[in-house]
Amino acid sequence: MVNCLLCNCRLTQKLTISKIIFPGPLKQPLICPECFRKFIHYSLEESCRGCGREERSELCDDCQKWQQYYGWYLEHRPLFHYNQAMKEFMQKYKFQGQYHLRGIFKETIKETITHIEYDILIPIPVTEHTMLTRGFNQVTGLLGDISYTELIIHQNRQKVAQSKKDRQSRLQTKQPFLLKQGVNLKGKTVLLVDDIYTTGRTLYHAANLCYENGSKRVQSLSLAR
Amino acid sequence: MKINELYGRRVLFPQIDNFPINDSQIQVLPTMKINETSVTCLRCGTATSKTFVALPNYHYYCPRCVTLGRVSTLDKFYHVQEPNQFEPPEQVLTWEGELSQLQAATSAVIKERMNNHCRQLLWAVTGAGKTEMIFAGIAAALKRGERVAIASPRVDVCLELYPRLQAAFANFPIALLHGREPQQYQYRQLTICTTHQLLRFYRAFDNLIVDEVDSFPYAANQALLFATEQAIKEDGSLLFMTATPGKKLIQQIHNKKLMVSYLPLRYHGNLLPQIKLCLAFNWRKGLSKKHLPTSLLREIRNTLNNRYRCLLFVPHIADLQPVLLCLQRFLPDKKFTTVHAADPQRLEKVQAMRDGRYDFLITTSILERGVTFPEIDVFVLGADDQIFSSSALVQIAGRVGRSVSRPTGKVMFWVNSYSRRVREAQRQIAYMNGKGRKLLHG
Repeated sequence: MVNCLLCNCRLTQKLTISKIIFPGPLKQPLICPECFRKFIHYSLEESCRGCGREERSELCDDCQKWQQYYGWYLEHRPLFHYNQAMKEFMQKYKFQGQYHLRGIFKETIKETITHIEYDILIPIPVTEHTMLTRGFNQVTGLLGDISYTELIIHQNRQKVAQSKKDRQSRLQTKQPFLLKQGVNLKGKTVLLVDDIYTTGRTLYHAANLCYENGSKRVQSLSLAR
Repeated sequence: MKINELYGRRVLFPQIDNFPINDSQIQVLPTMKINETSVTCLRCGTATSKTFVALPNYHYYCPRCVTLGRVSTLDKFYHVQEPNQFEPPEQVLTWEGELSQLQAATSAVIKERMNNHCRQLLWAVTGAGKTEMIFAGIAAALKRGERVAIASPRVDVCLELYPRLQAAFANFPIALLHGREPQQYQYRQLTICTTHQLLRFYRAFDNLIVDEVDSFPYAANQALLFATEQAIKEDGSLLFMTATPGKKLIQQIHNKKLMVSYLPLRYHGNLLPQIKLCLAFNWRKGLSKKHLPTSLLREIRNTLNNRYRCLLFVPHIADLQPVLLCLQRFLPDKKFTTVHAADPQRLEKVQAMRDGRYDFLITTSILERGVTFPEIDVFVLGADDQIFSSSALVQIAGRVGRSVSRPTGKVMFWVNSYSRRVREAQRQIAYMNGKGRKLLHG
């Protein structure tokens, strides 16, 4: 018997007749339907072409500013709203370090990624210090068995976590990333993946790095925004 | 960070960072034991399969006690052996109340056993005055310069104990530790904490007292039992207190692993009120049609007409609202409300009941123990529901007749069926009353 990883209630699975007659691989969910219902999907209609924000306008104000600044905007796909349930999940998964929660959104992420065309999937990296205290990169954890290449690394410089800053100081953050030596992105389509999109600063830095190194097109995906 | 924060405790810190204090006393201890296919957390004793909790690069963590900070192989424990660096003041006990003859006798036995560092159980009925009986034992231990802690699974019980103990030991600043509002840890000779906080201690206490051992979440929680053993010094003493010991404790008594003192009479020398049963077939169905059992309505009205107050227990949070609506229709001029564990105004409502601003409360099992309202009656609707264990039912019945001004009262259960748990609760009350009668009449 398995319990829900979030609320610890018992997970019961009804065995249907068709499952008995055509036994396939059993998919055991990790959390209960009540918990899963608390995470709210972004709708695809009537959303900003840039950051995915649910707004009537084609391109929201923030993305227009990014376009003015860089001359292009990032095509971003958020999966879930950053609501109370998602906040609690992030608190448990990322900050308390409960790595076993990583599989909860595996199916949803996989499903979305199969519909995106790309040449290289690059997860946003964590610092070396985080790797030695948290012990994992929360983004690659979410990806599960989807193949990725860690081409972007952190510049070695004292860094304050984005999650500890306010909006203004987030936006003023300098380029924190480097491309690994000898990497060629010429003509490639890149998909960047991060856990949370807040102001877009982090992903725009990473995307800019890709464009500077000759990428044809950069798209991005985040679990929440 | 001060070095005394490490006395008798294990502080978790990343391996790659430099620990803020440098001292030759500090021991660096491992956090986990790595076995062939599993890893064992050395803080809570839980073994987990390696595949479930593997981090990249062959590191592991413990998913069980993660709310107190994650234990992982990336960290180390920093610990200093408990030095008992205390200077007890001249006057230890500032409590001036008096114990009854029976209480005094039990108190002396407990003091003696605490002195000899034994493992013991105080099995005293609800409302026997357990807390006052351990004062003498605690005072003697403090005088000897020993470190003492009182732990309870329930925050409410800790919060109720704190002012009473602080008054009884006015010359000792007491550390109160619980997870609800984290306060700075302080090194004190006397500590009151929830049983979860014991996970942070290591070989710290000469005397550890665990109150309400049979209550959720302590009973049958291996991690907390492990923590209890870890928190006591190797030659330390352990005192369990409860009105309703579970099977495991009783077995330990039979196996002579635990000494026991009984106190079957309340401090005012009266027997426990026995539970009276009423049948209420399909009361939930009636409730959905906005009916409550007539006998229940009659009893509540009688109690209130006699100028007494009462508690009405229901099994689930979902039952609170319909019952409230029914009663509002039936008793429009009375003041009452509902309270449950997740209620944000829980503490205020209970305080208002204490102050007499409510005629009665409709509640779930959160008020089953650790709370005292004088001169009340208790009614339980659906006492045969699975959620009420037999010990919970005995505790609920034990809310009645706790004051000298009204040492008796009514305990009535409305049930669908005569369940094993209800029968067991009645049997336990009868058992203690039998012992009590022997004491009273020889």
